[in-house]
Amino acid sequence: MRSKKITAIDIMRMSIVIAILIITLFPIYWMITTSVKPTDIILMTPPAFFFQPTFEHYKYAFEQANFAHYISNTLIVALGSTFIVIVCGSLASYAFARYNTGGGNLMFFILTTRMMPAIAVVMPFFVIFRTAGNTAIGQFLQLGLDRLGTLIVCYTIFNLPFAIWLMHSFFQDIPTELEDAARLDGYSRFKVFIKVVLPLAAPGIAVTAIFCLLFSWNEFLFASILTRDVARTITVGVGDFWTQRGILWGPLSAAATVCVAPMILFALLLQRWIVRGLTFGAVRG
Amino acid sequence: MKKMDYPMIDLTDIRKRKKIMSDGAYGILLVTPALIVLFFFGLVPLFYAINLSLRHVDLTAGPAAKWQFVGLNNFRFALNSDVFFAASARTAFFAVVSVSIQMVLGISLAFLINQLRWFKGIIRALFLLPLASAPAAVGMIWRYLYDADFGVYNAALQAIGLQPLNWLGDSNVALFSIIIFDVWQWTPFVLLITLAGLQSLPKEPFEAAELDGASTFKVLRRLTFPLLSPVLILVFVLRSIDAARLYDPIATTTRGGPGAVTETITYFLYRVGLKQFRLDQASAMALIILFVIIVFAGFMLRRLMRQQSERARFN
Repeated sequence: MRSKKITAIDIMRMSIVIAILIITLFPIYWMITTSVKPTDIILMTPPAFFFQPTFEHYKYAFEQANFAHYISNTLIVALGSTFIVIVCGSLASYAFARYNTGGGNLMFFILTTRMMPAIAVVMPFFVIFRTAGNTAIGQFLQLGLDRLGTLIVCYTIFNLPFAIWLMHSFFQDIPTELEDAARLDGYSRFKVFIKVVLPLAAPGIAVTAIFCLLFSWNEFLFASILTRDVARTITVGVGDFWTQRGILWGPLSAAATVCVAPMILFALLLQRWIVRGLTFGAVRG
Repeated sequence: MKKMDYPMIDLTDIRKRKKIMSDGAYGILLVTPALIVLFFFGLVPLFYAINLSLRHVDLTAGPAAKWQFVGLNNFRFALNSDVFFAASARTAFFAVVSVSIQMVLGISLAFLINQLRWFKGIIRALFLLPLASAPAAVGMIWRYLYDADFGVYNAALQAIGLQPLNWLGDSNVALFSIIIFDVWQWTPFVLLITLAGLQSLPKEPFEAAELDGASTFKVLRRLTFPLLSPVLILVFVLRSIDAARLYDPIATTTRGGPGAVTETITYFLYRVGLKQFRLDQASAMALIILFVIIVFAGFMLRRLMRQQSERARFN
């Protein structure tokens, strides 16, 4: 049994962890402070830690680089793909959890698609969407290079396997007795799903949705290759400040902060579920 | 009379409904939308990539150019390409070194934090920050931290009397700088999952070991690590798969340079396929890589995920 006395080892442990934590958080601290530093201080050597904060870089990022446009693009794509993923995914993962559809093989096939290197998919997509963009249907559905629909398709594919696996773990947690009881009360299978299972699984579905939003928001490879101006997303937009004439560190830090900060809040919100999410539902932290 | 009619009606009702569709068929119906999405948008590009890899495709040749069928020429080219092998070897080196460091650091940290007396929750939460940030965006911030002239890291090196480094510009250093970045971002991943694993270990065997007077080292070797190993292997596999397709921070820091020392396989394929527009060669190479990753991932994950989910079911 542990004694209640505070030992030197306790203090040492704490100091080591805090030292590592400081190193870990420093880049993010530096990003935030750089975003409010006046330009002349940003380029000072040695770097300055104290300064008069300014918000000019945020102003610049939103006025010159059209950052509001990138944010709205990212939101449309993230919400659109997450919606499709949750609708298709919850039905499928419920079937896997309750009816053992495909006997496990199908679920593994789905997981494998998530493990594909994105670059192998993006090249054929580049050609397919280039062609689709010139057809009437493609234009109507916003499919084509530099179109939002294209990104929705890409993010849906990459988040769907993840969502199915994560939601599967949540559906497994719901006792089947409740569903059987509802069936005896005369509910149809679909009604049981809507009226009994979904409300019980709502927290898990919300967690999955937030994860999907987070992944879509942070995604870079598809966005950087398949978009240019019209559908440009936030992670790609941060690169706007890497210009021909050099890197504008102030606006870049401001943009990066705008990109990173909301996702940090989301992650903190997800804290309890983060381990389960990161392991596709396999480890229940 | 009255005690009979309530269940009677319902049972016949259910029986009637069951005749419309069996549970198996119903399950397939529920899975169909997801499968349609995955088949059309996941497998179609894959087949298209196979199609591309069997033809001569040069997007710079103009829209009228015919994509001639060339059989396995592109695969032959890929397997004889030194740059392709160099990029693969570089990626393997990066993945092995980076993931090993992350595992060692993450596991040690998890043990440390697990034994902390105060602020466990807050500390755990703060380690989430690198994980949640977009690699492409923080990658650019790291480019600033690494800057040879006004970067903070050089200032720190000089402050303790060391020579400044050209972190991203020196061909001997650049790949290690990327490794440091990756370690910074993903060690918390290993840490958090290991910590969760540690906290869910069963109490009884440890109490028994304590009663038997087993040494700390023996407990670690005989109990902790064997019990933890499924989780650790899962973390290792997930991290390796991700490390093998590293792209974002490369694209926003070094763009593969200096020379090609930080050109990972994904960035290399991007350059061949979408900068030089040789989609045929790039597709052939991508399919080879895809095959390797799928075999590795499919083989490892299948066992692991099954183990984990079985365990969860009985908990």
